[in-house]
Amino acid sequence: MGSQLALKSRIASTGSLEKIFNAQEMIASSHIAKARDVALNAKPYADAIFDAVQAVVAHSHITHPIVKKEEDNPKVAVLALTSDRGMAGAYTSSIIRETEDLLNRLEADGKQPELYVYGRRGVTYYKYRNRDVADTWEGDTDKPGVEVAEAISTALMNAYMKPAAEGGVSELYIVYTEFINMVVQKVRVLRMLPVEVIEAEHEAAQPGFDAPSDAAKATPLYSFEPSLEEVLDAVLPKYIQSRIHECLLEAAASETASRQNAMHTATENARNLIDDLTRKLNASRQASITQELTEIIGSADALNNKEE
Amino acid sequence: MAGSSKTLMQVNIVAADHPVWHGEATSVTIPASEGEMGILADHEPVLTVIKGGSLTVVDPAGERHVFEVTDGFISFDSNKLTVAVERGRDVVRTAGTDADAE
Repeated sequence: MGSQLALKSRIASTGSLEKIFNAQEMIASSHIAKARDVALNAKPYADAIFDAVQAVVAHSHITHPIVKKEEDNPKVAVLALTSDRGMAGAYTSSIIRETEDLLNRLEADGKQPELYVYGRRGVTYYKYRNRDVADTWEGDTDKPGVEVAEAISTALMNAYMKPAAEGGVSELYIVYTEFINMVVQKVRVLRMLPVEVIEAEHEAAQPGFDAPSDAAKATPLYSFEPSLEEVLDAVLPKYIQSRIHECLLEAAASETASRQNAMHTATENARNLIDDLTRKLNASRQASITQELTEIIGSADALNNKEE
Repeated sequence: MAGSSKTLMQVNIVAADHPVWHGEATSVTIPASEGEMGILADHEPVLTVIKGGSLTVVDPAGERHVFEVTDGFISFDSNKLTVAVERGRDVVRTAGTDADAE
């Protein structure tokens, strides 16, 4: 039967696909370990910056544009973190879905969202649909370095610090995938700018205790050099950059994890398909043998009948 | 550090993508934005912007560690010095002594 040959070739091709999926799965799981290391390595810096921002906030009520913008400006920026490569299941498409939702919500609120995209898949998606994109970045979505974070945060900070008349934006949202664990990753929308600085809990210290003196001990009285404003000017953009880097790293870990999951499922599917096809092949081989037998028996019977 | 003749400080140098160095030191010279600044233990709490340049750490053994850093900031508080820079690297260990006291 002709279908036997076809089945054989399908089994062979599915088999080689299975090997590719399996290899991809293993690559992804080795990348996860690396992504975790990178995230751990970046943590001390993020912590140091966070502590510094806390120290500054404890000192004064900051009136930096990063914390609050005075002017009313309907323009807002949205940054979507997608992946460079496919084969990661619904990773990019769920980011795009969430981004579209967010854009619609913002427009319904009377805002004018501007889109920024990181990751080749997202970029091609919007390019293909001829959508206006303010800026895009590509490359290294699965291992974003400081350079990428720097490029992105510089561009976004520039857009944010520009006055409204020159096309500046008043808010920045980031759509990224939160890494919860190896199996669960969740798309999240984060409002990055203006920064919501959480004042240290010294104001909420228990009233029963000698609150003021405790608070004074808890937050050392820093002296700032050259001046509080200059320190703020230097630290806050770095804070933003480090937060963006954090998001990038988390998105990268999620991408790798969802790629691993997708490849795992694909490997399983390929195996099931091979099992199915092998069963079909066996059945059709059996059928053809049975048919041959009946033909031989039939013709032998016919010959015997003639001789008699 | 009771009993020791000199108070030491904990130094922690971190770059954006990796921790560079940490250890104890007797004094640290930083390229502050307004010029070089030396910090000894028991300095008052300070938060300072630094510009790119070289940062020198003298450890308890008297060995000098030199780091090349980009701009960033340092914060010093209760004998803990944190140096946060975008990129930093350990350039030379010009040794006063050859003991590696890390």
